[in-house]
Amino acid sequence: MRALRNIVAALASLALGTMASAASQPPPGMALVPAGRYAPLFRGEKDPKEVVVNAFFLDVVPVTNAEYLEFVKANPKWRRSQVKRLFADENYLKSWIQDLDFGAANLSNAPVTHVSWFAAKAYCAWKSKRLPTTAEWEYTAAASPHRADGANDPQFKQQVLAWYAQPALSNLPPVASRGSNYFGLYDLHGLVWEWVADFNTAMVTGDARGDTGLDRKLFCGSGSEGTNDRDNYPAYMRYAFRSSLKAAYTVHNLGFRAAKDL
Amino acid sequence: MKKFLFILALQAALLAAAEEKKPACCITNTGGVSSASPAPFTDKSLYQLDSIWNSAEGRKLKLADLRGKPQVITMFFARCELACPVLIHDMKRIEAGLPSELRGKVDFLLVSFDSERDTPEALRAYRERQELDPATWTLLQGRPDDVLELGALLGIKFKKDPQGQFAHSNVITVLNPAGEIVHQQNGLNLDVAPAIEALQNTIHKVTQ
Repeated sequence: MRALRNIVAALASLALGTMASAASQPPPGMALVPAGRYAPLFRGEKDPKEVVVNAFFLDVVPVTNAEYLEFVKANPKWRRSQVKRLFADENYLKSWIQDLDFGAANLSNAPVTHVSWFAAKAYCAWKSKRLPTTAEWEYTAAASPHRADGANDPQFKQQVLAWYAQPALSNLPPVASRGSNYFGLYDLHGLVWEWVADFNTAMVTGDARGDTGLDRKLFCGSGSEGTNDRDNYPAYMRYAFRSSLKAAYTVHNLGFRAAKDL
Repeated sequence: MKKFLFILALQAALLAAAEEKKPACCITNTGGVSSASPAPFTDKSLYQLDSIWNSAEGRKLKLADLRGKPQVITMFFARCELACPVLIHDMKRIEAGLPSELRGKVDFLLVSFDSERDTPEALRAYRERQELDPATWTLLQGRPDDVLELGALLGIKFKKDPQGQFAHSNVITVLNPAGEIVHQQNGLNLDVAPAIEALQNTIHKVTQ
C-alpha cells in the first residue's frame, strides 16, 4: 500500500514536472526570452523610464524565403500576383522570380524581405504567432553575445554600429550565419531590419497638444537631449526607420520574425 | 382604355424618373445581378478589412457596411481634451461647408483609440455632448489590434501613455464610396475646402 502511494506520488510529481516545463518550453525554432525591463529610447514627459517586458517566445531567426513560400502556397491571396495593394505595395516579394519561386536554391535560408507589415502579420497569425512589440524587440536586441544587457559592452555596440554603416547587400546571406546573442537568438543585428507589431507608435508627430514634450525630442539638433541613451545611434536609426514606414511598404532589407505568448 | 393608357404612360414616366435618380453605386448592380452580390472590393479599398466594430448604438459592424457613401474619418478618444475636440470641430466645419447637393450624402466616422474606456455607452454620451447627428455620424470602438491596423492604414500614429491618454497624429481622411483614400489632411484648424472638393469629386465620379 505504501509502495503504491509512493508510486502515485512519484507519478504525480512527474506529471507536474512535465506540465511546468511544457509551459516554458519554447516551440520548435523559438527561444524563451525571460521577463525583463526595457528603457525606451524616446519617452514622453509622462512616460515611465522603464517598461516591464513579460517573458515571451521569439523566433530564433528571421522568417526565411523557404518558410514564407509555404505560407503563400497555403494562402493564395498573399501570392505576389494576388495580393491587394491595400496590404502590400507594388514591390511586394520583388526579389522573387514568380509567385511560388524565390529564385536560386541558396536563397531558401535567406530572410524573406519585400514584405509588408500586413503580410508579416498574416504570416504570424497563420503560425498562431504574432509580431513582437517594439519593447519586446528592443529589449531582446539589447542583449550582447554574453550579457542580457549589452549597453555597457563597447565591443558589441561597435559591431552593431558597423552593420548600420554598411550598405545593404543585394543578395542576403542565410540566417544564423553569425553567432547568437545571450538569449540564443540570431540576426537581430547585422542582417535585415524587422517589422514590429506597433511600428506606428514610433515617433508621434503632430500629436495631442498636451504632449508636445514628446515632439521636441524627436527631431535633430538637440533632439537627443530628451533620450536616455545618447550614444545608442543604432537605436535612433531603428526608431527613425520605423517612423518612416507605412503598413503597406515593402523594403529590400526589411523582414520579420514571429513572437508568441508563453 | 384611355384611362389605362394614361396610367401606363404615367408609370413609364415615373420609372424613368426613378432610374435617373438612382445613384451609380446601385446602377452597376442592376442588369440581372441582384444587389445581394455587390461588386468585389477594389485593391485599395479599406472595406477589405475583416475587423468587427461596436457602434455607439451597440451595433456590430464591419467597415464594409459603410460602403456606398463617401466617408470623412478620423481617430480620436473621448477623454481627449485638446486635439480631438478641434479635430471633430474641423469635421463639423466640413459638414457645414458641404454644398446642398452633398448634404446627407456624406458619412462622418470617428474611431476611438481607447478600446478600453470608449464603450458604446461612452461613445453615445460623447456623441450627445458633441451634438453629432446620429444620421450622419458613426462612432466606433474596436479591439486594440484592429485599432492599430486601422491606424496603420490611415497613417495615424498613436501611443498610449501611463495615464491612459493617447498621443496621436491628427489626420482627417476622405474615403470615396468604394472605400479608397482620396484625400488626407494632417493637422488641426486647416482649411476644409480641399476636403470638400475631394468629397465633391467622389460624388461626381460616381454619377458620371
